Amino acid sequence: MVARPSAAVLLRQLRRQAPAVRRRTESFVGSRSFSTDSGSSPNSVNHQPSSDPNFTTVSPDEVSHFNALASSWWDPHGPSRILHLMNPLRHDFIRMCRNSNLDAAPPPATGLTYLDIGCGGGIFAESAARLPGTKSVIAIDPSPEVLNIARGHARRDPALRHKLQYLNTPIEQLTATISKQNPQQSQQPLRQPQYDVVSVFEVLEHVSNPAQFLDQCAPFVKPGGWLVMSTIARTWMSWFTTNLMAEDVLRIVPRGTHDWQKYVNEEELRGHFMAGRSGQWADPRCMGVIYVPGVGWREVQGSEKVGNYFFAVRKTEES
Amino acid sequence: MEALLTRSRQLRRPASRVCRSCSRQLGAQARRTYASAASQPDIYDVVCVGGGPAGLSLLTALRSNPVTAGLRVALVEAQDLSNTRGWKLPPDRFSNRCSSLTPSSANFLNRIGAWDYLAKERVQPYHEMQVWDGVTDARIEFDWEAPGTGRTIAYMTENLNLTSGLLSRMDGVGGTDVFDKVKVENITLGEDKDDLDLTQWPVVHLSGGKQLAARLLVGADGANSPVRSFAEIESRGWDYERHGVVATLEMEDEGWGGHDMKIAYQRFLPTGPVAMLPMPGRYATMVWSTTPRNAALLKSLRAEDFLAMVNAAFRLRTVDLEFMHTMECGQSEELLWRLQHTHVNHQSVPQTVVGVQAGSVASFPLKMRHADTYIGERVALVGDAAHTTHPLAGQGLNAGQGDVESLAGAIEYSVLHGQDLGTRMSLESYNAERYAANHVMLGVVDKLHKLYSVGSGPLVPLRSLGLNAANAMRPLKNFLMGQAAGKGAKLF
Repeated sequence: MVARPSAAVLLRQLRRQAPAVRRRTESFVGSRSFSTDSGSSPNSVNHQPSSDPNFTTVSPDEVSHFNALASSWWDPHGPSRILHLMNPLRHDFIRMCRNSNLDAAPPPATGLTYLDIGCGGGIFAESAARLPGTKSVIAIDPSPEVLNIARGHARRDPALRHKLQYLNTPIEQLTATISKQNPQQSQQPLRQPQYDVVSVFEVLEHVSNPAQFLDQCAPFVKPGGWLVMSTIARTWMSWFTTNLMAEDVLRIVPRGTHDWQKYVNEEELRGHFMAGRSGQWADPRCMGVIYVPGVGWREVQGSEKVGNYFFAVRKTEES
Repeated sequence: MEALLTRSRQLRRPASRVCRSCSRQLGAQARRTYASAASQPDIYDVVCVGGGPAGLSLLTALRSNPVTAGLRVALVEAQDLSNTRGWKLPPDRFSNRCSSLTPSSANFLNRIGAWDYLAKERVQPYHEMQVWDGVTDARIEFDWEAPGTGRTIAYMTENLNLTSGLLSRMDGVGGTDVFDKVKVENITLGEDKDDLDLTQWPVVHLSGGKQLAARLLVGADGANSPVRSFAEIESRGWDYERHGVVATLEMEDEGWGGHDMKIAYQRFLPTGPVAMLPMPGRYATMVWSTTPRNAALLKSLRAEDFLAMVNAAFRLRTVDLEFMHTMECGQSEELLWRLQHTHVNHQSVPQTVVGVQAGSVASFPLKMRHADTYIGERVALVGDAAHTTHPLAGQGLNAGQGDVESLAGAIEYSVLHGQDLGTRMSLESYNAERYAANHVMLGVVDKLHKLYSVGSGPLVPLRSLGLNAANAMRPLKNFLMGQAAGKGAKLF
């Protein structure tokens, strides 16, 4: 009996995604060739998008989807429960990355600055700000409703008061937004703000052009700092678990959260940073994680090939 | 949201029920604080209500762990803690409230640096346990040579020795704000003003006007926990209609095994188990669970008759004992006469009790209670606030230490991962870990009590069926051994 509705759902899913398939295929080809092209002429590609003030990698559909989810973001038994459960692993992963460079002296454990891109209701941003070693966290999201929830929730914790700041801006306008906050500096030329940890959690699968988007994020990483992301591999297994099972059958995740076509594979990220942007990035790190209902998230070696995974690269000191 | 509002309304009510003069005082205070604008609650990460063994070891655990040492913590206790700090008794006197600490509790206390602060000359390890059925005389042999178990089954200690040791350690580590000799007048939810929304934070109102806002409010405040009432957590169970009679006793000698081989004894009588637990030297502490009537009689007896009853409890047949409970006095002569007609293997019962410490005979009602959950939003219950058990397995205090160890672990995890340690999400693992473990313990202890309170009928031969082969009592034996060694979880 279970097989029947599943098959129907499957068909519906395929039909629903049919037009998207074409669109995304183009863009993936685009993104891959983008990586290789940029080796020859990096400047033209990197700077072109931000020169258009209206350019954004944010998709309007995604913003409205997350706006609708805003009110339940912090409900521990609500639709975002699975994200709440994943959050501790993000810190384990970042800690692992920061301590993995055995050649260098151990990185400072205090005074850290974070930029959380696509912060949503602030699950990661709040937790990063609460860590004793954190100096400050800037968290940005294009969805105003979600950000209102985030701001309202942060008011509930006095420990966050001077450490966490939310900005309703896409990454493309972040530098301008920050300089507007300091009017005395606004006369001077824009200074690129940089952070020890720039995080992009569960965002890549929701932006229109991941490669362009990551190029927008890159300047915000301090030399020696880490760009940390998480997403889902684009495999039949991930389609089965994150789309069919999680959204349609078990309903652990709200319907329409994931567009499988937008998932990014680990080797694509690795290629983007290590081949396409060679010299700027080092020490790629990866951790595959699997959610087991009733047990929680667990690190499973090799699972980055099939489902959710974390990926991080360190910005070289020279870049 | 509406539920929260009604809750805060209900919670304010108790304050208005305070007697007229007090409420007038409260009003005066409110005006004063309004004038001085000092009504802002002091903000803490952990506020623990109750300075018993559970509360003190939680705060000591948090303060002695470098990860959680940065937290701002406070202890609220109604008693004057300087009495506990200055607690001292001569070597031949022992407090009548004693507990058996399992090796796992002792290890935990050692890890948080408190074990060394206990007066060791007042702690008595025991190495053997004799348990038998009072009706059929079937006996369980406890061989502690089982692999993986140390020689020590558990450590007997006075509760005051434990709390004063914990308090010394806590004072030594420092950093805990102690509010003692104060009453919790009320617990409300905080306010939403300026740039801070504390509407989900419990605020503890102390007598004297001080207010403590808690990221996490811990109820270590005993069986009638005000924190549990605040969180509207139901505690269910039943009264056993039994009282535990305790006394500090002097034995004829150091015990059959001498100084290095102390033995704990427990005999299951139809009215409830009677246990004799070794203390240092010739001393022992007794817990006799019996009917309220018997308990009242025991407390009313002259010392020599009381001693006769205790000796009889471990030696005579249950009918003889029952008869002696109907006598108003003269039990000591009665025992002498009846012992002439009873065969007793002296080596298998405790040595004869020859003295009782004046003023040490006391009793308390026995109950089984279990809170529906140990957690709420920004609330956690530990120890007796979460569960109360029959003392027959000596597990009450150890279960509390288990709670504390687990909760301290959950708090450490939250701090390491930037989670808000007070939220239900962060406390889930504590509830999952401890609720199940304690539920098993409470259930088995309860069933044991009921099984052995039957004096006649078909259950009696059944429970001792083939008992001379100790195997038939294996479940009981395994349970007592496993619990004593702190391995209760492995049982099932």
